[in-house]
Parts: sequence; C-alpha cells; structure tokens
Amino acid sequence: MAAASGGRRPVAVVSFAQSDMVRREELRNDVEVLQPVIVDVFEKVGLTKDEMGFVCSGSCDYLVGAPFSFVSALDAVGAWPPMRESHVEMDGAFALYEAWTQLQEDDIDTALVFSFGRSSMSELGRVLTLQLDPYYVAPLWPDPVALAALQARALIDSGRYTEADFAAVAARSRRDALNNPHAQVKGEQTAEELMGDDYVVAPLRRHALPPITDGATAIILAAGDRAAELCERPAWITGMDHRIETHSLGARDLTTSPTTRRAGEAAGVVEVGDGSGAPVGVGVDVAELHAPFAHQELILRDALGLGEAVAVNPSGGALAANGVMVAGLVRIGEAASRIMDGTAQSALAHATSGPCLQQNLVCALAAEPAGDGRR
Amino acid sequence: MTRFAESTITFPYKRSLGPVVGAFMTALTDKRILGIRNGKDILVPPMEWDPTTGAELAPDFVEVGPVGTVESWTWVPTPSVQHPLQHAFAFALIRLDGATTPLLHAVDGGSSERMVEGLRVAPRWRGTRVGRIDDIICFVMGEVPETDGGDTGAAQEPVQRMDYHASITYRNPVPAATDRAVVASRNRRLLGLRCPRCERVYAGGKGYCPVDAVELGPECEVDLPTVGTITNFAIVTPVSYPGQTETEPFVRAFVLLDGTDVVIGYSPVIELPADEVRVGQRVAAVWASPAEEHDQEGGMGGAWGSLLGWMPNGEPDIDDPDLVNRIF
Repeated sequence: MAAASGGRRPVAVVSFAQSDMVRREELRNDVEVLQPVIVDVFEKVGLTKDEMGFVCSGSCDYLVGAPFSFVSALDAVGAWPPMRESHVEMDGAFALYEAWTQLQEDDIDTALVFSFGRSSMSELGRVLTLQLDPYYVAPLWPDPVALAALQARALIDSGRYTEADFAAVAARSRRDALNNPHAQVKGEQTAEELMGDDYVVAPLRRHALPPITDGATAIILAAGDRAAELCERPAWITGMDHRIETHSLGARDLTTSPTTRRAGEAAGVVEVGDGSGAPVGVGVDVAELHAPFAHQELILRDALGLGEAVAVNPSGGALAANGVMVAGLVRIGEAASRIMDGTAQSALAHATSGPCLQQNLVCALAAEPAGDGRR
Repeated sequence: MTRFAESTITFPYKRSLGPVVGAFMTALTDKRILGIRNGKDILVPPMEWDPTTGAELAPDFVEVGPVGTVESWTWVPTPSVQHPLQHAFAFALIRLDGATTPLLHAVDGGSSERMVEGLRVAPRWRGTRVGRIDDIICFVMGEVPETDGGDTGAAQEPVQRMDYHASITYRNPVPAATDRAVVASRNRRLLGLRCPRCERVYAGGKGYCPVDAVELGPECEVDLPTVGTITNFAIVTPVSYPGQTETEPFVRAFVLLDGTDVVIGYSPVIELPADEVRVGQRVAAVWASPAEEHDQEGGMGGAWGSLLGWMPNGEPDIDDPDLVNRIF
C-alpha cells in the first residue's frame, strides 16, 4: 500500500502557472484563456511541448455546452506531431494523478498537466446538479449550494462548529488572498463584519460560498534526475491517493470526511495511532485545501488532523477563487510553490469532486524525495 | 463590442431502472415507500450495493414511513423553475419511520421559522403517479399523508423506465477572429489565417495555430479561393432524434481549396443528389442571399457565416488517387 501511494520513482512538481481567476472571461474562449498559461508554465523551466512525455488535462464539457471541448483545448498546447495524451472529465488534480501514475513507468521523464473551465457560461448550479444520482436526487434539482447548506447545518447540529467559525474561515481566506495576485475575492474584513452578510441558503451566508470563477492552470511534472535539472527546489510528491464515498447522500455522515482521512493516511500525512481514532497530521508545514464552502475547510482540517501550527490555504483557497475543474489543481500548484520558493519544507494539497466533498484526493509534497531518494 | 451566442442544450434521457430502483418506483405509484435490508440497516431509498463494502444486496424490501422525522434541513428562499415547489421551501434529510438512512426531499414548511430538527412530516402524493421520485410532490407537516387532486391509482405493470429531462442554456462570447470571418462571408469572402511560424493556413475563424499554439490576429488574414475539389464524402442516413431536422439521406463533403492546403470539412452540397457525389468533383462556394442571413448563419453555421455549402461548377473532374486522403 505504501509503495503504491508513494510511487516507485520520485516525481516532482517543477513548474506551475495559472491565469488570473475572474468572474467572467468576456472576450476569450477556452483556448485563448489557456494558451498564455501553457506558454508561462513552459517558459519557467525552459521546456517545449515537444519535450513532454505525456500530456493530461481535466475539464468538463458541460461547463461551456460544447462536446469534445477538451479536444479543441489541445490547440493551446499544439497537438502536432501526435503526442501521448489523455483527459479526465474531472478537476485537473485527478489528471495530475494520472500523469504521476504514468511517470512511474521508466520511459518518460516529464508530463504536462493542465485544466481549464469557464463556469460563467451558464447557470453553474444547474450544471452541477447533473452530476447527482439521476434516479432519486437529480429530479428534485437540489443545487450545490442547497446541498452544502444541508451539510453545514448538520455540522452546526453536531455541536462542533458555529456560523461564526465559518465567517472566521472566510475572513482569513480573503485576507490571505490579498497576497495572491490571481485571486478573485480578497479583502480586509473581520469575521464579525462578515457575519452581517445575508443568508444565501441558510445557514450559509454570502461569505461562506465560493465565487463563480473562470480560469485555467498548468503544472509540469518531472521524474528523477530530470526534476533536479529543471528546478532548484523541486516539490517532490511523496504520496498521493484518492477515495470516493457513496452517491447516496443519506448514507453518508456529511459532518466528516472519511475518504479524505483515508487518502491522507495512504499519502503518508495522516496517522491514526493513539487508540482514540482521531487523525493526526504529520510532517505538514502548509496545507492547501480545496474547500469550496467555508464549513468544508473545518471538516477537512479535522479529517486530516491539522493543528494550529499548519498554515492552511495561504493562497486564499477556493473561497478566493473556485474555478470548477481548476481549483483542485491550483491547490497542488500553490502547495508546491511554497516548497519551490523555500517557505515550506513539506506541504499537502487536497482536491475534491462531487456534492458535499464526495470524492477526495490528497497529495503530499516535500523538499526531499520520499524513501531512499532513488532518482 | 462582444457578441454572444445563446444556445440551449436539452438532455431527454430515458433511464432503465433495474430490479431495486424499479421496485421502489413501482411502490411509489401505490403510495408506498420501500427500503432495502442491509444487515441491521434499512436503506432508504434502496441501494443495489452496500455503501461501505460494495457487496450486492439481496432484494429484501421493507416498507417504511410514510411519515418521518426531519434530521437536517436548509431553506430555499427563491426557488428555480426546476425546484419541486415554486414558493420558498426546505430541502430536508427525512428519516422515515423504520428507516436507518434519511431520504432527501422537499418540505413545504411555510416559513423557515417553522422548520426545526425533529419535525414530523408526511408525503403529499401526486394524484397521478408514474414511478418517479417526484410522485411525492413534497412532504408536509404532521402525521397525515395527502393526495393532490383525483387519485388515479397504482401502476398496472412494474415500472421499468423513467424519463429524465434536463436543459441548460449557455451564453458564449463569440471570439473576434470568428466574428471577422462571419463579416467577411457577407461579402462572399472566405477568410483564412496564416500562421507566421509554420505558414499553415486555417479557415473557419480559428484565432490560433493548433500546431504552434500561437495567436493569429487580423495581420495574419488572407483571402482564400472559393473554388475547390471534393476529396472525400459521407452519405448520412438520418435517424430520428431530438433536434435532427433532416429526413432524407444527405452528404457531408470535404473540399480542398484550389492552390492551398486548406480542406473544409463536413460541408453540405447543393443542387447535387447524394448518389451523384464523386471524389475529384469540382465545386464552387454557394453563399446565402442577404435575405437569408437573418439568423446570422448559413448552412454550415458558426464562423462560416453566409457560406451555405458547395455546388458543381461545371469543370471536369480531377483524377488523382491521392485526393481521397485529404481530409485535413
């Protein structure tokens, strides 16, 4: 199990780029949003697309209502001559998982991972309702905000957190986002001030919801010695795992995230040891958590056992910019950046998919490769 | 000034239900709610698999409710047109009497002040039930189920399929390169864009070279010839599906423009019966008249603007066996 989650061959994030995250890309289509990001991610390490062993993307055709939009998006990379390429109809973080798996094979050393999404093209709530159980749930059209609100109320009823805790998460995210030039929602407001917001869907006030975001992001992964050649401080992936929960909302305990905890254990950043069953985070300086709703950050912190010493979402997180299909991969890029820029020795990134944190991915990153350090 | 293209996509799915979901839906038509036994638990709505282990569950159904208790709820102050109720209501997780897991449904609670954890609720049934989750319109406060309108009774046969309709409206900005190509088409011009790096020329209003991944601006525009040769084609026999307006077999042809490497794909042919289309046939562009341009689209749509398709120009065929390979 440890071998599977840690990988057979050290792989690192060596380059990360993202577009500005905005409420609406009025003038550019997917390719035009993506293209400067792809140019940027290559320029940072002096590579070209012809040097990529593998290319993998994550996106959702339903966002723009165009079938095979992920195929036309390859125009931003340059798809000739033919290359080894794949796509997931998921957040780019899951595309990165596929690329990381491919890099375990010895015949390629580099991979480009990218994702893009313009959530503003339609009613996002309607699009995301299409991912629900089509028999029992989708015909009632519970939108993602309503489902998140059910989860938030269950969390309040559990007695662990209050609406004021949600506001504190939002206040910290917006303050941290002031240092993130790509973030969309930022500002210097106290939790007390934010508590003056109206409810959108009770018990969620405006600040507890993510913004609707258009944007794109890209990462380059490199394996073994190639990573050290390309980057002064590669962010080595020391473990990665993802898990999914049942589609039956009523069969889940929405106040916890057991799959995040299990993915964290498999990635080597969570231990459940002392008999109490409480997870304890180990060896993490920085955590970038993909929590689109404020209360979900609290659920994830508990699932990963993150203590007060861990810097959570210094980028502002998904409350500051929540590109659908993009925000998870951005979490990996932001966590890796903290290692590449020397401010952290270790980090974890989390990505989620589905209603109420149904599916969760945990990626552990460090300044040194895992295990014996074989490159 | 950005132009937007609005389009609505509908997804008219028919879904087969199988023995577990089908049993639940069939029981709904009889105003009964079923759970399925999973060890000591009764799962409502019934699942085919154990949510923890993935083990297949035996079809051991148990009738539950129909009255239940609200476990968690959220207030929807401004419903959308798809929502079960058109006035403010609650989505709630409702544990029906006898069930272990709660069911997600709507509660017609009147006002959010009246909603509370532990509230007792009962179903309001539709008078005519077809075997869908919304045969229950919503739940109402109290212990007494209601039926809306005249009761037409249970289904005569087991329910095996359900209709699921979704529709999403999109508002996409039209890229500038596309708009320039459309405007040029009004003057019977076929606009191309030449990549400064690889010299390839693209038609169809694509504002970037897909090989070199560089942007192609107005400075890269060239006029393309409007005469060419059919390199390949397909005869499509239409089947009926929502949105298909063709009823007779029709052709989509690939046309190589004279003196270029540009192939225009999937083009309609005009005044040319399907069984007379040949590889090597010489054709010329056919443009919409100004009167036909009202919907901003010719027969090919999008960036092709007023271009309707291609018709024979009377020149003799070109005999070149390699032509058939030119589809890009």
